[in-house]
Amino acid sequence: MAGALKSISARMVLAVLLIHAVLLPLLSYGMLTLVHNVQEETFIDHVRIYSRVFADQMQSGGQLANEDRIIEALDSSILGGRCVHAAFELDGRRLLSSMMDKEDGDKFEEDFSFGEHGDNVYYLSTPLVVGNSMALLELGFDEVPTLLAMASARTTILTIVLIYLLVTVALAMALSTLVSSPLQRLRHDSHKIASGDYTRQMSVDSEIVEIKELTSDLEHMRSTLVGINARLEGEIASREAAEEERRKAETHLRHMHRLQSIGTMAGGVAHEFNNVLLPILLYTDLALEDLPEDSPTRPNLERVLRLANRAKGLSEQILTFSRPSSEAMTVHADIAPILDEAMSMVRALIPANIEIRIGIQRPLGPLACDTNEVQQLMVNLCSNAYKALLKGDGGIRVVADNFEVDPEFAAQHPRLEVGRYVRLTVADDGEGMDSVTIERIFDPFFSTREVGQGTGLGLSVVHGIVTKHEGEIVVASEVGVGTTIDVYFPHAKLDKERPSK
Amino acid sequence: MTRVIIIDDEEDIRIVLKEIFVREGFDVAVASDGAEGLNLIRETGADLVITDIIMPGSDGVETAYDIRMEFPKTKIIVMSGGGNTGPLEYEPTAIATNAYLASAEAVGADLTITKPFNRQELIKAVRELTEQ
Repeated sequence: MAGALKSISARMVLAVLLIHAVLLPLLSYGMLTLVHNVQEETFIDHVRIYSRVFADQMQSGGQLANEDRIIEALDSSILGGRCVHAAFELDGRRLLSSMMDKEDGDKFEEDFSFGEHGDNVYYLSTPLVVGNSMALLELGFDEVPTLLAMASARTTILTIVLIYLLVTVALAMALSTLVSSPLQRLRHDSHKIASGDYTRQMSVDSEIVEIKELTSDLEHMRSTLVGINARLEGEIASREAAEEERRKAETHLRHMHRLQSIGTMAGGVAHEFNNVLLPILLYTDLALEDLPEDSPTRPNLERVLRLANRAKGLSEQILTFSRPSSEAMTVHADIAPILDEAMSMVRALIPANIEIRIGIQRPLGPLACDTNEVQQLMVNLCSNAYKALLKGDGGIRVVADNFEVDPEFAAQHPRLEVGRYVRLTVADDGEGMDSVTIERIFDPFFSTREVGQGTGLGLSVVHGIVTKHEGEIVVASEVGVGTTIDVYFPHAKLDKERPSK
Repeated sequence: MTRVIIIDDEEDIRIVLKEIFVREGFDVAVASDGAEGLNLIRETGADLVITDIIMPGSDGVETAYDIRMEFPKTKIIVMSGGGNTGPLEYEPTAIATNAYLASAEAVGADLTITKPFNRQELIKAVRELTEQ
């Protein structure tokens, strides 16, 4: 309520009312007094003239000859409607009109102003000369018609004042609406801006110059705000993007460093290991040669030799991981047949009840690669996927296609550059991995499986092969949903595409 | 009789390689480092030298180079352990090993061979080289 009183409309109406509360009573009082006085004076003038003329007529008309004529004249004045009281005094004798009560006739007291005595009768005595003596004509005039006229005039004046008041209040309200409605719309628009909707343009259709200027100033503020806001949002977004990129690059670098140091260590270990393994292999071989064919020791030594050969295989796998150098790689215009071969190996390795869906784009490449290693990579990835399925049902999906790395994708994957790649995808809907596990899956000898269920070298060999081919591995996994591993190999640059050096 | 000289700082490897070559009917001598090996060749000559690549003193590459300079007809096989014994660094050490092997070939080694190998592989390679 207090708020409503503070609005422009309420204030303007209040102001009008306040002004009128002071002015209108004064004005009304003045006008009423004026009308009252004029009416009164007119009445008094009128009755004086009437009395004088009546007296003169009586004198000149010879009606003063006897008392009957006098009373007749008095009666005529009352019958004429002008008087309610008529009396004549001559030589101490009072003559009354026969039209009035005796008692009333005695109550004569001259008025000097309108409304005196409160009996609504205005008394006036007019002296006249009859012969040698003075006579007095007493007439009483009815004040009521004049009082009625006064009341009517008062009503008219008050009605006019009231109408005037209503009209001015209505005008004030209309005027205030003219000002306040565009202000209301401005307020509505500003409120929208305040609540975050900067895009709405401020336009208020008003003829009022101040409001026009206010609108244009506010619109200027809004458009400036929109500009600043857009710039800030852009800055924040680019900072966030830069931060994200930096974080990714950092994670990637850390990961690379870790894998490289593991590679270094594995290489060192392998070197020492190989120096031990070599004499074991050779001495065992020599010892076997020296043994008689039927020696009971022979099977044992043969077992030692077989195990030493297996250790040799392991050592070679470790070195595949720690050796990113490019050895002789051949350019294949289409590696689809190589993958077909790999997938037939995979199919032979994995039980027939596991569904493997294969989609290989043709031609796929060109790719400079070591055929055996690419096949080993596919076998390792698929066998890993199969092992993830062991705890539940599901299938494996293998997709190989040519993939265009755009700048956005390259920004997300620091090792990839804009250009064409071969993408190998192996997806399973197996048990999935958490982020801690993903971080470590390429470490040599890291295995999530029970001891004895695999060497834990499979994915580290994959990593070694991918690094050697200057590719990238992207792992996406969700516990309980499955794992998707994407491997990217850059297309081989054909001579015609290569800029001459 | 084909004379073979084996150079390796590991005694176990020297002994077993010697035994193998003796059984194959070669005349065998062993040395524990490059300088010793070179002196042996100067004294008695050699048809084939088989040397480890990473050794204290002069390594396999230097040894291969020295032999090639002095004895152009001697066949040289350089063995690598496949890894590196150097300090842990960010550079994958196999690069160093491969670089070693590549430089060994560059300075004149006839063959590089990665440890561990089995007896048959070694004999096959040696026979191919010596019967050329």
